[in-house]
Amino acid sequence: MRRLSQGNEAVFRGAVAAGADYFAGYPISPSTEILNVASAYAAEHPEFRFLQAEDEIASANAIIGASLAGAKSFTATSGPGFSLMQEAVGYAQKVGVPCVFVDVQRVGPATGMPTMPGQGDIMQVKYGSTGDYTPLAFYPNGVEEAFRVTVEAFNAAEESLSPVVVLSDTFVAHLNEVVDLHEMAAEVTRVPRLQAPLARHGQGGPRFFAGVLMYEHGPNAGEPATADADEYLRQFYAAKQRHVEVAQRYARYEWGWNRDAKVLIICYGIVSRVASPLSADYALFRPIRIHPMLGDELRAIADRYETIVCLEANDGQYADMAELALRREVRRVPLLGGRISLEAVRDGLARVLSGGPSQPPVPPTPQERAERSPLGIG
Amino acid sequence: MPEAIFAELGFKQRLKVDLFPTIWCPGCGIGTIMIQLAMVLDEMGLDERNTVIVTGIGCTGRMGSYMQYESVYTLHGRTLPVAEAIKSVRPELHVIVVAGDGDTASIGGNHLIHAIRRNARVTLICNNNEIYGLTGGQTGPTTPTGTKTLSSPAGNPNTPINLQGLVRSSPDALYAKTTVYHQAHMRNVIREAIEHEGFSFVDVTSQCIENNGRRIGFASANEMLTFYRKTYKRAPKGADRLAPFEIGVLYPDGHATAGNGTGPAPEATPEATAEPAAAGSGPAPARPPVDDEEKARRRAESQKRLALMARLAPEVKLQVAKGEVTLADALRTAGIEPDESPG
Repeated sequence: MRRLSQGNEAVFRGAVAAGADYFAGYPISPSTEILNVASAYAAEHPEFRFLQAEDEIASANAIIGASLAGAKSFTATSGPGFSLMQEAVGYAQKVGVPCVFVDVQRVGPATGMPTMPGQGDIMQVKYGSTGDYTPLAFYPNGVEEAFRVTVEAFNAAEESLSPVVVLSDTFVAHLNEVVDLHEMAAEVTRVPRLQAPLARHGQGGPRFFAGVLMYEHGPNAGEPATADADEYLRQFYAAKQRHVEVAQRYARYEWGWNRDAKVLIICYGIVSRVASPLSADYALFRPIRIHPMLGDELRAIADRYETIVCLEANDGQYADMAELALRREVRRVPLLGGRISLEAVRDGLARVLSGGPSQPPVPPTPQERAERSPLGIG
Repeated sequence: MPEAIFAELGFKQRLKVDLFPTIWCPGCGIGTIMIQLAMVLDEMGLDERNTVIVTGIGCTGRMGSYMQYESVYTLHGRTLPVAEAIKSVRPELHVIVVAGDGDTASIGGNHLIHAIRRNARVTLICNNNEIYGLTGGQTGPTTPTGTKTLSSPAGNPNTPINLQGLVRSSPDALYAKTTVYHQAHMRNVIREAIEHEGFSFVDVTSQCIENNGRRIGFASANEMLTFYRKTYKRAPKGADRLAPFEIGVLYPDGHATAGNGTGPAPEATPEATAEPAAAGSGPAPARPPVDDEEKARRRAESQKRLALMARLAPEVKLQVAKGEVTLADALRTAGIEPDESPG
């Protein structure tokens, strides 16, 4: 049945359609509706476990425990909560725990501007935890896509044995669109769990799931490998290769609008919806898989265009990645402070396309304005 | 199948003895706790198919790697969220958390408070050595006031955290206190904690001779254990709180035992209803608490088997311990006539 559905709700429905049966979370706007919907769902479906944890740290670690026990688990939070979860993200990367983190971004850093929309967590997803890892992350720009991307995130998590991130923002989360989530759920393909859950192991003897580097095979199996670089390299590159291979199956992006235009706009999430009235004059590259960076795909497209501009609600986080991948200039229009409006997009494009700086003119404070014009005119 | 018992040394099957010696310093109390825990798990028939060990970071966190159980070595302080989630997804499993005092009460303190509040059905065994040992000996949350440590050279100015009070803030949680010296007591209270239907907390005072004991004036681990023997006394029966240097079990309804295996006071015993089902077959049935009589019977049986085992040749004893032959068969082969079948 087609009905009005919200972005956050679509994320939850997508999770359930993908087989999720454990949710842990801590209330934080603008992600809270996911927690609310999960608790209501759990009340009617006892096989779906729900935990309102004491904080985001507990939520993140609880979904790791639930996943090891055999559940498909996920949590939902916003930027500040995601910061608290970073240590657990690293643990899940190290141990190889399939689970899904939903980060509904708002303006940061810290408490920031609750709950104006932002996109400031692009780099947090990639580099938030200590050490090196290869995260997978997706970012939809609408309700239907939020559902599909969440399903794919769960499947990619199972295939890659890693925590996968679904990015969103205040506007995508609270967007209401008419979709048929029920029909979409019927078409979902689920990837089953690859590893045996806790206490169901096979012949190899009981396993030890450790955040510390351990020998997994051979004569030293079960002993710490904390001073063995060779073992680190083996495990690190095995995981990286696995993640990259899985990511290739989910190379989701959109190349559209006016493909024959001279300027290519890179934008993602809600910014792509806000900028869509400019579709006649610009080409669009919209990465849906944010991490790993769609380098090859973007390179093949970018060659056709004289100018590339990245519109994003942060100070150039994706533009940095794009510039590195393309080895050429990517102009930036940062839409900061939650001001993601068509007017701000137009002003920014006009500024950077005429050779101006990426930084918008900083408006004077009311006091400065008053000093300049004591009568309050102009 | 009869319960394997201490007398048969069956608990060694619960340990990865091929990984021994452990990384712990000579004289450390953690190994003792691990052996007692293995004995209790073995006695209760809890194995890798029905039990999961969750540990934290620090010296104590390494315990999981030496035990024949599936084990999760979590991040520092995050044992309880992981354990609670495992129990929630797989209620048929016994989830046993082993963590140090820093992991439990300092970095994991918030999780402890809320696991108690939510009555997470897990057992937490806290190796309480009153120090951060692995990092060299800094003040921990349970370090006594005035103790000199690397991070409080003039003496710890703060009051140690009241673990008993925290746990007892819940109407459903069990709190037990014991020491590494009181090994039989430790086994009894660990068993009672695992049998408890709600959150249970075993606070084991333990010696860290290398990074605490020597600095505060003990010459050896043995001196520390002697100190525990002389200082810690069993709480009087019926006590509703444990005074400093008292060991015992506090049940949620306020009935204490001296932790000598006598269990809760009879009026607190719910009616035993269900027989324990086979491990791993569906949700865990409510296990009936073991009454005093049953515990006495088990102890007597254990002692009888110990006496019979003593009459066997060492290699036969080992076979029995490994479960390759039953005690009854071994006795028959050896031509020893027990008074009655040991089962």
